[in-house]
Amino acid sequence: MTAATVPQDLGRAWALRRSERSLLAWCLLCMTLGFTLVLGSVHSGGRVIGIADLLPLFTYALCLICLHLVLVAIRFRGDPILVAAGAFLAGFGLLAQYRLGAFDGPDAQALYLFPAGVLIMVTAVAAFMGGRYRVLAAGPWVWGGLSLAMVAVLLITGQRFRGGVYALGFTTPTEVLKLSVVVFIAGFVGRHVQTLAQWDRRLHLPLPPWRPLWPLAAFWAALAGLLMAQRDLGMIVILSVALLAMLVAGTRRPGYLVFGLLAAGGLGYLMTAVFEHGRRRIEAWQDPFADPTGDGWQILQGLSGMYSGGLWGEGFGQGSPGYTPIARSDFVYSVVGEEVGFVGGVLVVLFFLILFARGMRIARHSHDQIGMLLATGLTAVLATQTFLNVGGVTKFVPLTGITLPFISHGGASLLTAFATLGLLLAISDTGTASPRKASRPASSARAGPRGQAKVLNQTPAEPQTKPRRKRTSKRAPGSGDDGAAG
Amino acid sequence: MDSGAWPTLRVALHVAFFLCAFFILRQVLATVRDGDGAKGQKARRRGSPPLPSLPVIGLTLLFAAVLGYQASWQLAGVFRPEFVAFMQSHDRREFNPAHLIERGRILDRTGEVLAYSQEHQGQVFRLYPYGPAFAHAVGYTDPRFGVTGAEAAANTRLNGGAPDNLAAWSGLGLHLLAKDKRLRGQDLVLNLDARLQLTALQGLGSRRGAVVVLRPRDGAILALASAPSFDPNRIGPELFQGANASTPLLNRATQGFYPPGSTFKVVVAAMAIEGGFTGTLNCPADGYTTSRRYPKIRDHEFYTGRGWRGHGDLDLPTAFSESSNVFFAQLGVRLGHDALAAAAARFGFDRQVRLYPGADRAGTMSTGRIPRLAKSDLYGLAQASIGQGRVLATPAHMALIAAAVANGGLAMRPRLLADEPPAPLSGYMAPATSTRLTRMMRKVVSSGTGKGIEVPELAIAGKTGTAENPRGPAHSWFIGFAPAQDPDLAVAVLVEHGGYGSSAAAPIARDLLVQARELGIIQ
Repeated sequence: MTAATVPQDLGRAWALRRSERSLLAWCLLCMTLGFTLVLGSVHSGGRVIGIADLLPLFTYALCLICLHLVLVAIRFRGDPILVAAGAFLAGFGLLAQYRLGAFDGPDAQALYLFPAGVLIMVTAVAAFMGGRYRVLAAGPWVWGGLSLAMVAVLLITGQRFRGGVYALGFTTPTEVLKLSVVVFIAGFVGRHVQTLAQWDRRLHLPLPPWRPLWPLAAFWAALAGLLMAQRDLGMIVILSVALLAMLVAGTRRPGYLVFGLLAAGGLGYLMTAVFEHGRRRIEAWQDPFADPTGDGWQILQGLSGMYSGGLWGEGFGQGSPGYTPIARSDFVYSVVGEEVGFVGGVLVVLFFLILFARGMRIARHSHDQIGMLLATGLTAVLATQTFLNVGGVTKFVPLTGITLPFISHGGASLLTAFATLGLLLAISDTGTASPRKASRPASSARAGPRGQAKVLNQTPAEPQTKPRRKRTSKRAPGSGDDGAAG
Repeated sequence: MDSGAWPTLRVALHVAFFLCAFFILRQVLATVRDGDGAKGQKARRRGSPPLPSLPVIGLTLLFAAVLGYQASWQLAGVFRPEFVAFMQSHDRREFNPAHLIERGRILDRTGEVLAYSQEHQGQVFRLYPYGPAFAHAVGYTDPRFGVTGAEAAANTRLNGGAPDNLAAWSGLGLHLLAKDKRLRGQDLVLNLDARLQLTALQGLGSRRGAVVVLRPRDGAILALASAPSFDPNRIGPELFQGANASTPLLNRATQGFYPPGSTFKVVVAAMAIEGGFTGTLNCPADGYTTSRRYPKIRDHEFYTGRGWRGHGDLDLPTAFSESSNVFFAQLGVRLGHDALAAAAARFGFDRQVRLYPGADRAGTMSTGRIPRLAKSDLYGLAQASIGQGRVLATPAHMALIAAAVANGGLAMRPRLLADEPPAPLSGYMAPATSTRLTRMMRKVVSSGTGKGIEVPELAIAGKTGTAENPRGPAHSWFIGFAPAQDPDLAVAVLVEHGGYGSSAAAPIARDLLVQARELGIIQ
């Protein structure tokens, strides 16, 4: 099942990654065109182009080449499209950041974030591919405890700025939660999947089982409470969506979604009723024209920029994104809309959709419960983050102050996005050992680092190829039995 | 690099960037179709594209909704007038097309330009050739101080967001797709007649006041003048700061509340006719009061004690044409509190009537105010019956009342925009009542208090008013219409502290009606 167990010669690996190679080459060409556009407008603006101006493009090219070579060298057999989608989005982000002057003068070291992110991604792939990601699920409470401790420490030591809490140097270590909490939930849900799927009918309502759920609920209450104290509503939403997606995907119980939405509605109402911070954002969202030079200023400037861009945009380097506040991080999507127009926005969204579709496909085709849960959770995190950012900038949903994965400026956010992608890629590397025969290890089985699939418990162990749809169709809503399904 | 070639090269690079990105998309889809995406399923999947799963479909729909909403701002932002106004005032991007929208012109009913836009060095300015004359009716649009009046009411159309013909549609389409910067808004035609408006303002001169001219048949507003006014070409902070005693921003015609004085007797007379009042009331020279504690309400203060014996027994038409306060005070008290309240409701007091579609406060007219009086307050009732005390009216409302008499009792909704269809507002009185009132109002001008403005060929019907007020000399009122038999125009004139209605307001009304006849507006 693991790659390491099956030796493979380099030539075959090289041939195997042919499609990835060609896609990455096209990405490089596309970004070269984009950089030429920016450099040309800089030059026509009267500035002399130095070697430093070409550095971002060289960095990008070098990163893509190294990434590809390493993937071949480690005989990676995962998803090439995911690699390409990530490379395109990251390149687009690099281009947008470069255009916004993120690497000028004293900020020049920000450029190192990009190779660092790629390095983290490759390391994650190499470390966890071939089923080794199952190590992560070994001790879920370690991850859970670490997550809570980190948020608590940050709350005590951090400094407040613009309604949020930041650690030293304005980094946002909470970004790591997007990984650690997902790993925790994957481990927890994987372990208790059978009991979590046993819903009872009480009070004429199908209700989730309280006994296995309460530790999770307690963890969630603590985490949400701590995050709320930091006013990081966006993070709560992202992690909650991931939790629900993983619960539903693991247990095949859509009821979790219903109760989750009810809880979210109640909490959202409470939040806007209690917190002035949240209420002001809601008001600025509903009617930005009520206070156009105050609360509505940012969103309206972003929309003005996009309106200026129109359908095609003025071209990279031609806009004036400096007029939008926080253009580099939260509002980078409006810069995209301004410079490459509505079509550019559609492009970015399409590549994100490809990324999510591949993520969900990886979850669907994963050979074990943990891989499925992890891939579901990580994809849900990325999708929710993208939706909240793009939706916020376009006034579709209230602003939550969340970055756009791969494209926004921001150290921790960018590195986390790369790490997420690396983990997804690692899960997509399913190995060669006849996947059709492989069974999903039972949730309670401690999958060893080598990933031997042991069928300990007959319950959810099913044939891999056509598993879940059949089961769901069999189940009448609310029927309490579960163990007999296998 | 040759900077001359750059613009072309820039567009080429831009296009190449998009083509390249879309080519990558195509390649990705081809790879997915080949089943090369994930190892292991290769053999099984080859040839048939995998169906997207339910969550993928859901996510795609969700993001499609976001993009659709984004397009409603990014591409179709011109349909959001508040957004366009925000960009015009707060967006410093010079290439923002909103700055270059050439707003449509505003024209009067004969095509006279009341407002137009002109580009000067990459910026578009709004110009008002008549300066202050139309400031209240047309309004203004200014990047810093917003937009009011007709400018606000038809903002979308003036910005080009409501194309009504093929050329306008293609212009808008070009603007949306190719960012053609010469977006030209649609013109807006008003019912105003610039010549009547200027005559009205000339008549007011340096005095404060208001003139409203309506067509009774369909509610078209031909003149809506308020003096003093302000210059919409020069909107500045000083206009909005401090207390300017002359309140140039106040539209006296639609928002100025004044005691209506004797013009209110039109309402009381309609009440009496509908209440079946016939016969006479005795009007002694020393006046009438409801209690010894209050001063007497009199006619002709001047003659008292000089041997004038009073009017004696008066009937309604005579009392109306002589404007006898003693008669109407008694009549009002006899009709009672409930009749006054009923009249307030019937004549639409205490309301807001909009002059444009979807108008804000600047685009509505207030009707008068008749507060509910205490049952025991008979003196208040007597005062209200002669248009004094706590009764107030706006010039626009008095014009509407005159127009209703002229139109068989039916008040038409006053309209400023020419393309709005006529619509009834409310029936102020029965047709038979309006016929009798018309006869009485004609008598006012032919032989009563308004005989100074009699023009035989015009057959003006009207009512003068001299409204006492605590701030100075009486306000001068005249409301009326012409010709009496088949009215084409109704008019209300108010001159603040102008003295007798017959001496200040009535001549302005006469000049307007005479000019309207010369212009062919009155047949």
